[in-house]
Amino acid sequence: MVDFARVQKELQECNRDFEVSGIKVIPTSEANLAHLLGTIPGPSATPYEGGTFNIDITLPHGYPFEPPKMQFATKVWHPNISSQSGAICLDILKDQWSPALTLKTALLSVQALLSAPQPDDPQDAVVAQQYLRDYQTFVSTARYWTESFAMVSSLGVEEKVQKLVEMGFPEASVRNALESVGGDENLALEKLCSC
Amino acid sequence: MEKQSIQDLGEMEIEEFPDDFQCCVCLDLMYKPVVLACGHISCFWCVFKAMDTYQESHCPICRNPYNHFPRICRLMHFLLLKLYPSAYERRERQVAEEENKYGYRSPQFQDDLLDSPFNKVLDVRDTSSPLVRVVSVDPNSTSGYNSLVQDSSEINSPCEVNATASLMTQISETTNEVNCTIKQDDRNGICKQVSVTDLQCAVCMQLLFRPIVLNCGDVYCEACINKPRDSVFRCPLCQSPHPNGFPNVCLVLDHFLEEHFAEEYSARRESLSKSQNASTSGSSMQTQEQAAQKQGLPGSPYYGPRLDLHHGVGCDYCGVCPIVGVRYKCKDCVEKIGFDLCEDCYLSSSKLPGRFNQQHTQEHRFESIPASYLQVSLMAHEDVVSGEYIRVFRDHSGNVFTMPNLSNNASDDDLENEPSANSSSDDQDNHPAT
Repeated sequence: MVDFARVQKELQECNRDFEVSGIKVIPTSEANLAHLLGTIPGPSATPYEGGTFNIDITLPHGYPFEPPKMQFATKVWHPNISSQSGAICLDILKDQWSPALTLKTALLSVQALLSAPQPDDPQDAVVAQQYLRDYQTFVSTARYWTESFAMVSSLGVEEKVQKLVEMGFPEASVRNALESVGGDENLALEKLCSC
Repeated sequence: MEKQSIQDLGEMEIEEFPDDFQCCVCLDLMYKPVVLACGHISCFWCVFKAMDTYQESHCPICRNPYNHFPRICRLMHFLLLKLYPSAYERRERQVAEEENKYGYRSPQFQDDLLDSPFNKVLDVRDTSSPLVRVVSVDPNSTSGYNSLVQDSSEINSPCEVNATASLMTQISETTNEVNCTIKQDDRNGICKQVSVTDLQCAVCMQLLFRPIVLNCGDVYCEACINKPRDSVFRCPLCQSPHPNGFPNVCLVLDHFLEEHFAEEYSARRESLSKSQNASTSGSSMQTQEQAAQKQGLPGSPYYGPRLDLHHGVGCDYCGVCPIVGVRYKCKDCVEKIGFDLCEDCYLSSSKLPGRFNQQHTQEHRFESIPASYLQVSLMAHEDVVSGEYIRVFRDHSGNVFTMPNLSNNASDDDLENEPSANSSSDDQDNHPAT
């Protein structure tokens, strides 16, 4: 069973210095602390700057003795992140995990991975190829993806609510869903559908 | 479960403890601290659960390799108990609950505490009488010891008298003017006191300076341990061998000493630097050697693929995990965790208690179990179903060093299945032995 006392402490600790790190972790639902949503800001001076990336976190039974399962919920163009599934290729999320690491430090590492791609050890071969052969195109594609998927949508909250209500969901649950996923309308829709 | 953890958090806020004493694994106050050879500290169960079951383990903080599960550092155990009594007792309750749930036990200090050198100062066994640990002292007092003795003699508690008497003997033994540091607790006006005698090196009988913790959990000054060139060095108190070279200074404890016993600490620093100047510069050589050792475990049996080890089974004397070569399994220990020895310890004359509070006695019989190749195939199996491998190993290799945490994943219904799994595992185990 997951050590929930530790997870609670991690959440408190992480959200306490949100102002400094910009990294946030919130439970997707009150009832289940094993499924969380992490948020990292795109590092500056990279094509990911200005974007806010959501990361889906699932804690395995052995956590913190087994690494948390993390994958990008926001689409991202990066050699070490699958452009299809969001799977992350990072050693500390696999064999180099240590129980002294936390969700916050792991998310910091993911953020560092955004600023330092490792095309020689790719997760997404297409992106890695492009990174190595045509760096300029890579940068503009990554930038385009950031703007399209990771920037706060031009729609205001009320417009998002309206849009989802028009799809046939009750307003109260729409607001709840939007809030729990940090305002991302696509994630909120996913959540509403899975309810 | 979640509600409970939230409650625990609420309780924690009653007594704050510094980040230094936070376990890096459970993020709570360290309980029954274990100090690894690299000098990093975690709770007993946290170290145990973080250990690798089929190869050498790595420190969660610095990834320094190790293959021996050290014993609990009692000096730190009693230090934390004195400094943060309510938080430590909360942890005790929490861990006891978990231990009851899974049927594994950590070492208890009630009985062997009498032999402990640290017990001479204050009797901390009886947690129900806080007077033993918390003695109110006039904070303005300059002569700490006198006021402490006076104050405590006013309290008519048998424990207290014992403590005072032993304190007196301690004073007459050391004779030096040992100043007692008083820590004032602002919130409720209770003085918590930790004295130099709680933090003494058993060799020089002075305040610890640059403390190192050996595999047996005993603490010494770095300078007080003479490291033999080639042979394994042993603990001066309990004579247990300390494997894998010289340990690093435990910095958490060192910082604590420097901060709270500043005067004594700098005095020790000065006296040591004088004596070091007099006798050549031996320490720089030592640090060089230490640096060389950090590269890895030179004599480690786990480099390269090994076929002759017992996955997840550790030796109860030296703590090596997993056992390489022949394993000696106690046939009479009834504890769920079992009792096992490696060949070296089986052949030695050690008579130490087990690492999990087993009631093992000298009369118990052992059976020898050679490492079987079956387990190698299980290792490959583990890659396929990661997360399940602990259970698999328990089913085949018997018991020991299966981790409560990882066995959690199957929760209650797993526990129900256990008897049948165990009986089949006994069959497995007995085959090679007969």
